[in-house]
Amino acid sequence: MIIGIDIGGTHADGALLDGDRLVAKQKVGVDERHLSEVIITLLQKLVPADRGRLKRIQLSSTLCTNAIVTGSLDPVGMLIQAGPGMNPDFFARSCPTWFLDGAIDHRGHIICDPDPGKVADAAAAMQRQGIDSIGIVTKFSHRNNRHELQMAGQLAGRFAHVSMGHRISGLPNFPRRVYSTWLNGALSSQFARFKAALEQGLDHLGITCPCHILKADGGTIPFARASEFPCESIHSGPSASLMGCLALGAPSSDAILLDIGGTTTDIALLVDGAPLLEPYGIDIAGRPTLIRALKTTSIGLGGDSRVTWSDGAFRIGPDRQGPSMAEGGSAPTPTDAMVVLGKLSLGSPAKATAAMIALRPGQAPEATAAALLETFVEHIRLAVAAMIEEVFSRPVYTVAALLHRRRISPKEIVAIGGPAAALQSFLEAALHLPCTVPAHYEVANAIGAARARLTVQATLYADTVDGQLSIPEISCVETIPTRFAMADAEKRLQEAIAGMLQEMGMKGCPEIDFLERLEMNVVRGFSTSGKILTLKAQIRPGLAII
Amino acid sequence: MSSYMPSALHKTALILFPAFDWCISPNHPEREERLLYTRDQLIEEGLEDVENIVFYNPELASLADVNRVHFCVPSAEKLLSESHLISAGGTLRAARAVMEKETEKAFAIVRPPGHHAMQTVFGDRGFCVINIEAIMVEYIRRHYGVRKIAIVDTDCHHGDGTQDIFYNDPDTLFISLHQDGRTLYPGSGFLHESGGPAAEGYTINIPLPPKTGEEGFDMVMERVVMPVLDQFAPELIINSAGQDNHYTDPITNMNFTAQGYARLNRLLNPDICVLEGGYSIEGALPYTNLGIILAMAGMDFSHVREPDYDPRRFTQPAEMTRYIEALCAKALGVFTARGAKKQEALQQRIVTKQKNIFYDTTGFHVQENTSYHLCPACPGYTEVKATGHNRHIHAFTVPFNACPKCRGQARDTFSTTRPAPQTMTVLQDRIEDSYETK
Repeated sequence: MIIGIDIGGTHADGALLDGDRLVAKQKVGVDERHLSEVIITLLQKLVPADRGRLKRIQLSSTLCTNAIVTGSLDPVGMLIQAGPGMNPDFFARSCPTWFLDGAIDHRGHIICDPDPGKVADAAAAMQRQGIDSIGIVTKFSHRNNRHELQMAGQLAGRFAHVSMGHRISGLPNFPRRVYSTWLNGALSSQFARFKAALEQGLDHLGITCPCHILKADGGTIPFARASEFPCESIHSGPSASLMGCLALGAPSSDAILLDIGGTTTDIALLVDGAPLLEPYGIDIAGRPTLIRALKTTSIGLGGDSRVTWSDGAFRIGPDRQGPSMAEGGSAPTPTDAMVVLGKLSLGSPAKATAAMIALRPGQAPEATAAALLETFVEHIRLAVAAMIEEVFSRPVYTVAALLHRRRISPKEIVAIGGPAAALQSFLEAALHLPCTVPAHYEVANAIGAARARLTVQATLYADTVDGQLSIPEISCVETIPTRFAMADAEKRLQEAIAGMLQEMGMKGCPEIDFLERLEMNVVRGFSTSGKILTLKAQIRPGLAII
Repeated sequence: MSSYMPSALHKTALILFPAFDWCISPNHPEREERLLYTRDQLIEEGLEDVENIVFYNPELASLADVNRVHFCVPSAEKLLSESHLISAGGTLRAARAVMEKETEKAFAIVRPPGHHAMQTVFGDRGFCVINIEAIMVEYIRRHYGVRKIAIVDTDCHHGDGTQDIFYNDPDTLFISLHQDGRTLYPGSGFLHESGGPAAEGYTINIPLPPKTGEEGFDMVMERVVMPVLDQFAPELIINSAGQDNHYTDPITNMNFTAQGYARLNRLLNPDICVLEGGYSIEGALPYTNLGIILAMAGMDFSHVREPDYDPRRFTQPAEMTRYIEALCAKALGVFTARGAKKQEALQQRIVTKQKNIFYDTTGFHVQENTSYHLCPACPGYTEVKATGHNRHIHAFTVPFNACPKCRGQARDTFSTTRPAPQTMTVLQDRIEDSYETK
């Protein structure tokens, strides 16, 4: 049995699953200052009497998101080696930053080492400022982590938390690596406290099974890893809802997943049944990051959005002015339209009718309601089309990729959320696709958290001219023979992933996807001197096999 | 996006297409690896997240886009691969971004290059098959009605193909800065090559001595390029942004730098850049491309330096300074004397020249005979007869700025020309945007 818990802004949902069967569901109010207590309360209500049957707890927590919203982040001191390139001054807008000399180039070759004296001066200045969490990032550290490791080694034991760029992500993009590392450092101590409180609570309840935490990419990681990389636990809300959609709706083709709420609608896409990810990561606290995440679009459109009529068109949202008029609110909402059309039984139908008349006096309320909901789903249709176009337009670098790009072509819609059922026929008409609204969607998020599987990813960069390979995620730099080929790269990366899984306490290894294979001859002086190989591997987000 | 990322002053589109699966041959300078390190540098810099910098994929140019400019023998379809159409399509995407005001500026970082491709195309020369800038220029004229366009070619090799295509067009100013043709392929680009009879002075060649560096290029920009552009007042400035003047380039002998290229672009302020050559793929291209992008976008490029950059290495000897000073004066004179010989040429009505074009990649020669049919009201139409590789072509071009009379004459001559045996007869009418063969 698995317990899934999703903490939202106002309430937390829990679901106890036996296989894919929902055994129990619970809802409690949320006090953001005492998240661990909320979780323990939910667990108390859900945990089976036979503790031994509970295999895992999976948690989607807003802890880190709240820390950002409330500004309660730890101060972080950043040590940055930018080398040649764009002027790096802009990093200093984010947090106290010390720029170091030295450089690593695009092939991971060391051009010049950083001055240890400057590193020491920076560390002393940080300590004077009471900074206890530091981030170390060099440009191209995904190709060569030596400078990051050197600096971390030099400062070992002097700070409570040290985050290094290359461990956070093996992807390129230096600013994103800097900001991800900053974020990780800023969340470290809070996450440690949260973990301690939660573990204490679990002890009290006699729960000994592993606890996993949901990530933004729709996958999970064990708590132990999350406390090393707390930045990965951020923005898991959309993951929970979309994995819930996936669990309940089970589409296997290209599909559109919708979570229609009171004020917002979240949209995600499935490609051949697998959730689509952001190419790099999401923006957090105004900063672009490398935190792997599902590609979602959130539009300010929901059942309680305020609706007005001007210049011959409905304007829906993005703001909310209290509940629907049917429920005693003061402004017309899409919910009122659903009530008028008999799609939703809620509040006072007379007040809902009044809302439609207030919107368009002299028109039949049913006609106004239908036109309003048509506008509502039209906004969704446009947002979906824009997303599909954006994904299609992602940069490609080979002739074959450019000529064979496939545009996502959804075959169905899975919609969850309060207004979903009422909008079902409108969605089908506007998008010309069948739309499913699964049962139990009110606890879809908790089910999503429960059903998500562990995900990891790793990247490999091998240069046979230099005789070296790098797998940054596991701080691996090792020597390779000149004959090292793509098949060897796959094998090595598979081992790396298996090792990571083992470290996370997982037995067995689900199917690994290899992505972005690139093999390039290095030619110097009109003859081939070796190869550069790059490869990414991942366990993609999906439903755990039960 | 946010105050945490820098913002470009000028919104700039990048069409970055390294074609990792295409090469002329595996060990050729124009091979898969060429833009690998450039791509790695640009992505690691985080340019995709800089506010006001946008990345677009190239589109495929159509055969009609090619036939608007070239006479491909035996045909564009037979001569070109998809890679060529994508490279040309990258420039078209750049043009559209700027002309439709999606962005203020655009840089097509694409390969293969194009500036050695002449109007007649029998194969690959100087790593180029079709002239991607020229295809872009005529596309812009066709779709957006732009007349006066300046092309400044800063590749180390003379842009002989671009020169050939626009040689008799006074609405296209072509300025090429390159290593002296006596010391480098293609061996042309001297001061006296200054435009056809209807466009004398609108082709300006500045053959620089080997080892010219930042100082020399700065001087040419300040003394020739910028004053000439001010007077010509183009509606659009294009930079053929070859980067093989770099001090580390393996096939040239110059001393230019990433800082120098960036400064040149800040001064030139082009609307569109198109990558041409540049074969120091590891030590130069990542830095020169980044420098050019930042300069175009109006961003700080002071930190863009090659790992071994040391400006003291490139101090210009006094003798070279004097040589370049004199060269600048002569080059400026070419433009000052523009149009002076047109009256004289008009009396001849038809001016004919002959040339021998060498296709270095596969090694064959084409004999070409060009006749400019002149007109007092317009540049007139051009007739080309070329023979090479056992193929013959007899072609007529009506330029976009031809008068109705010349256009009619070209069409009449084409229709009354009896096709010679084994000869393709072609009419390229840029006004009607048609390409007829018989």
